[in-house]
Amino acid sequence: MHKILLIIQREYLSRVRKKSFIVMTLLTPIIVAGFYGLLIYFSIQGASSTNNKIAVVSENKTLTEQLASTKNTSYVYVNKSLAEMKSSLGKDGFDYILYLPDFSLDAPAGIQLLGTKQAGLSMNSKVVDDVENAIRIQKLKASGIAQEDLDKLKSSVNIDNKKINDSGEEEDSSAGATTIIGSAAGILMFMFILIYGIQVMRGVIEEKTSRIIEVMISSVKPFQLMMGKIIGIALVGLTQFILWILLSASISTVAVKAFVDKKDLQQTAVSAVQANTAQAKTGSAIEKQVTDGGPIAYVQKSMANLDLTKILLVFIFFFIGGYLFYSALYAAIGSAVDSETETQQFIMPVMMPLTLGYVLSLSVVTNDPYGNIAFWLSMIPFTSPIAMMVRLPYGVPDWQLALSMVLLVVGFIGTVWVASRIYRVGILMYGKKTSLKEMLKWFTYKN
Amino acid sequence: MLNVNNIVKQYATHLALDDVSLSVEQGKIFGLLGPNGAGKTSLIRIITQITAPDSGEVIFNGQRLNASHISQIGYLPEERGLYKKMEIGEQVMYLAKLKGMSSAEATKRVRYWFEKLEMGSWWNKKVEDLSKGMQQKVQFVATVLHEPELIILDEPFSGFDPVNADIIKNEILELNKQGATFIFSTHRMESVEELCDSIALIHHSKKILDGSVAEIKEKYRNNTYWVEYDGEYNPVSGAGIFDVLQKDVHKGKTTLKVQLMEGKTANELLSVLLPVVNIHRLDEVIPTMNDIFIDQVKQKN
Repeated sequence: MHKILLIIQREYLSRVRKKSFIVMTLLTPIIVAGFYGLLIYFSIQGASSTNNKIAVVSENKTLTEQLASTKNTSYVYVNKSLAEMKSSLGKDGFDYILYLPDFSLDAPAGIQLLGTKQAGLSMNSKVVDDVENAIRIQKLKASGIAQEDLDKLKSSVNIDNKKINDSGEEEDSSAGATTIIGSAAGILMFMFILIYGIQVMRGVIEEKTSRIIEVMISSVKPFQLMMGKIIGIALVGLTQFILWILLSASISTVAVKAFVDKKDLQQTAVSAVQANTAQAKTGSAIEKQVTDGGPIAYVQKSMANLDLTKILLVFIFFFIGGYLFYSALYAAIGSAVDSETETQQFIMPVMMPLTLGYVLSLSVVTNDPYGNIAFWLSMIPFTSPIAMMVRLPYGVPDWQLALSMVLLVVGFIGTVWVASRIYRVGILMYGKKTSLKEMLKWFTYKN
Repeated sequence: MLNVNNIVKQYATHLALDDVSLSVEQGKIFGLLGPNGAGKTSLIRIITQITAPDSGEVIFNGQRLNASHISQIGYLPEERGLYKKMEIGEQVMYLAKLKGMSSAEATKRVRYWFEKLEMGSWWNKKVEDLSKGMQQKVQFVATVLHEPELIILDEPFSGFDPVNADIIKNEILELNKQGATFIFSTHRMESVEELCDSIALIHHSKKILDGSVAEIKEKYRNNTYWVEYDGEYNPVSGAGIFDVLQKDVHKGKTTLKVQLMEGKTANELLSVLLPVVNIHRLDEVIPTMNDIFIDQVKQKN
């Protein structure tokens, strides 16, 4: 027992002290936080400042003053000819010229959007929508429908997701946030198992190629060496994970306080609401949104409905379990080869179920978190660490969670046992190309 | 101190050790010889408990070999290595602690050995920054650091320059004087003659020869002598005393290789030669370990 602690200590310290580990651990949260910071910054900036001024040159009487300005695009009707506007474009404060020739409403043609720069895709479709809308309204009016009837036609629908829990109470459900949290946890799990599993394999190969293995094995049992390495590297992974969580939390708290002051956030929310109100003046859903405080508040509220502590604890459990399950297999692969280039053929069968679990979790499980496939994926230890993390935020019955955990524990005890039998033979084999068949034979060797 | 009794070890398709027995006496240097692939490494791996025999047993100081003996054995494998990215001092400390030494004790011993072998400045260097010879020295220190009773060295001098080989040889002799028992596995027969008290020769998984070096050499003496003289004399094979095996004449000097007949002595040879020639040299041809090794291995083939 004393020896395995020494091995764990060496494996842990030799990795944690590496420059690459320190740099990765410190930089990743900063990069991620920076990335999201930029994203939020640009969406706020984008929402408030992009404003295209469009000069409308209309030769079409019916469409005069019919295009309503919105927050990001303002239409200004000018009494100048197209040629005049063209010559002064860019100097008169307008970004684009919208030219509406005199066409019949039934066959609109010859509409042009001119600018000093090419109009973007969203800008283009916005203008198309606005013009189409204006034409439709004119047509409806022409067929004798009054303006107030038209206003009544508009409705804005907002579905309120509720989930009835076991005790029959309504819970606010949070489809958006659950999907984000679930997928993020699944991706993180996939990455961690892969990165640290491969580290175990590299560590074993390093001991083999540097030939220190024989000295080690004359002091400790192969099982102690293998488990020491696996546990040591698991602790490195946990250290990195916990540091990431702590660093990201503190960076984002500081960043939110420093760069995004509350007024900005409120303004965004309010202006978003105003934009909505401008488009549709009626409808009770709008009122609800006003009281809720806009989309950002909506995400915040749905995050609050998730039990983040539980998700974090379950994540750590499944990370340890899934990592042990796979890293034992990686250790066996490492023991069977002489160099990293030979590992390809063995990595494939180990990577397959993990990748399959990852892909299916992000597609099938996200779409149908309570379905049969989702259930089985979250039970089989090959895929359960990822699938369960994706399912968890949607709510998983306790018995399923417990069963999945038990199966994972049984699973990793199984892989560790199988791997240790291959490992103890493999580490002393040199110069032979190993096949899967050979590895099976090693498994049956006596000591 | 170490008895190997009827060890059999079978790998998938080949028999690595076939009923091998030998015994190593306390405080001696024992040579384990044999051509490549004979089974030496398999036997060493059994003694160091890296693998277990299929049948037979190893007795260490009167006890059946078990995990408690690990700290009393030091092993320097032929294919040796260290963690490349680890600092030397830390690495040797780690290996010592794995052998069961306390931290304080290990520090003391590492400092002692580093000073003795002039490695004091290496403590914070990484293995990858050392030359191969320097790495060998580190490995030697790691092998003997925990003061094992039995030290097993597989080709200990390979990779050393003559100066360092001599330093290591003297360390081995000194440790031996202090009571450590050695098992030497090597192909270099001159170091066997120089160091070993007794040997065992393994060939094709079987032990084909063992005993003390002196006894074996005695056994392989066959009454052959070199005689060098000048003067006119044409030796006649026979004459009842000797056979001439070889004759060279060079610058008026004649060199003869003769084998005495059964029961005859060197004195009788001299009495034949003295009246007729001037004798410069008379040597008994004593077989070297190298000759015995080649002779034995060829015979068995």
